[in-house]
Amino acid sequence: MKKTVEIPLGSQHISLLEPIRFRFHCENEVIRDVDADVGFVHRGVEEACASRFEFKQVGYVVARVCGLCAITHSLGYTLAVEKLLHVETSMRIKYLRMLMVELDRIHSHMLCLAHTAENAGFEALFMQIMNERELVMDVQEALSGNRVQFDYISIGGVNRDLSAQAGALVLRNLSLLEPKIDELFERFTSNWSLSLKYRGIGALSLTQAYMYNTLGPLARAAGLETDVRLETNDFPYAQIGFEIITEQGGDIYARNLVRLREIKQSIKMVRHIIEGLPEGAIQEKTKGKPEGEAIVRIEAPRGELMYLVRGNKSSILERVRIKTPTFSGIPAMIEIFKGSNFADAPAILASFDPCMSCTAK
Amino acid sequence: MSLWSKWRKRAPWILHYNAGSCNGCDIEILAALSPRYDLERFGVLNSGNPKQSDIFLVTGPVTYRSRERLIELYMQIPEPKVVVAVGACTATGGVFRGMYNVEDGIDRYIPVDVYVPGCAAGPQLIIDGVMEAVAIWEQKTQALEEPFRLFGGMGTIGEALSRRNTLEVKDEQNHREP
Repeated sequence: MKKTVEIPLGSQHISLLEPIRFRFHCENEVIRDVDADVGFVHRGVEEACASRFEFKQVGYVVARVCGLCAITHSLGYTLAVEKLLHVETSMRIKYLRMLMVELDRIHSHMLCLAHTAENAGFEALFMQIMNERELVMDVQEALSGNRVQFDYISIGGVNRDLSAQAGALVLRNLSLLEPKIDELFERFTSNWSLSLKYRGIGALSLTQAYMYNTLGPLARAAGLETDVRLETNDFPYAQIGFEIITEQGGDIYARNLVRLREIKQSIKMVRHIIEGLPEGAIQEKTKGKPEGEAIVRIEAPRGELMYLVRGNKSSILERVRIKTPTFSGIPAMIEIFKGSNFADAPAILASFDPCMSCTAK
Repeated sequence: MSLWSKWRKRAPWILHYNAGSCNGCDIEILAALSPRYDLERFGVLNSGNPKQSDIFLVTGPVTYRSRERLIELYMQIPEPKVVVAVGACTATGGVFRGMYNVEDGIDRYIPVDVYVPGCAAGPQLIIDGVMEAVAIWEQKTQALEEPFRLFGGMGTIGEALSRRNTLEVKDEQNHREP
């Protein structure tokens, strides 16, 4: 006789932002096996990028792969095409691009923290974090003109300059945000009822993190030092004071701490960017059509994002391949679910910060 | 019935489904529910259960695999129900129009009452859309509660429910002689 009970979660569920379906095989409360189905939002972006759109438009199409890390998608693609067109961007453009990526990281991490809190049953904390997140959203709207889909980066530069007023607004809002992050840090580390839901739950060991090829905050929470900002030199991250952040334990608590500390570090880096913003033009001249193959790696809020672009001197590209961080995280996610309680499943899922529209494209 | 509907119109619960969107509109719906914009002050609650919901918020162009779920969820919501299409790609397919796995907008599958524009639709627009949906929902409730003649009169429940015919049906019923 079969000992396990099958419990489905998804594709539509209150704890899910986007459709993903799990089938948990549970023995009493404990999850024994999991089937995951991630393909509900597959739209065929890669195929359309290589057939329907010109290479100058594709940057805005790939931004629509994911709303949360739209800026990293368009940045990854733009960097790859700039390599093929042999365009060297000025320091000011690099700084402005880094500014938007770091702001995006702050808001994405805050959304993940809020979502984890909601799924663990702390609705008031969710509301509080979402309210504080609006400070960053305001800054993004002032800088790029849109709250979510920025369309800030174009091939050869950025679409809007940073005015002195906008710079002052960024500094003001971040100085308002920083004490609130400190308060959240205090709450996440010392609140007893939060620790019941977070400490020791959904733990991923360092060996597992290495074996399952995890990326981003998930790997760094387990103590694995992997961060593309450290490994590549497309952007002068060392100049603005970037240091890698790792935690031990790999449970939900450690993942939350990594995200909180990264938010604090991003705030620090944004300050350095605005203070040391070099002068120069915001758009370089580009000419020609992309030829050859380029691979670019970018650190998205969820981990390493990889773009492969291949062109053959026509305005329509031959191939655009996107490898997203959540895609690499799914084997580890399934492994963590095994052996944990079913009641913890939504919180564990949210702490992974899965992005299905990235994964399925 | 009329006694309850007075309070019910103050509590339109929403069901949110992502039919292949990029997440942008979904996080804006969350932002609209959060304290800055506070959709909840109108009694709106994000409910995960279609059988308790009144307003169906859909985001994204319908992908090939999510269309069955979309129709299933729509069928499970009890009458009267209102569908709000959030975002440009929900209305026409937007940037995804013509991609091989995309069905170009949800109105190919379910009737839509309110279209919210924007990529991504801002929280203010979403609030506007939901408020318009509440007004339509009230009309539909009235139309549903209006008695109609089973024999002789041709007004059926289906006609009474469709938005276009709501007012005409009411006029017809008022002028009908007993």
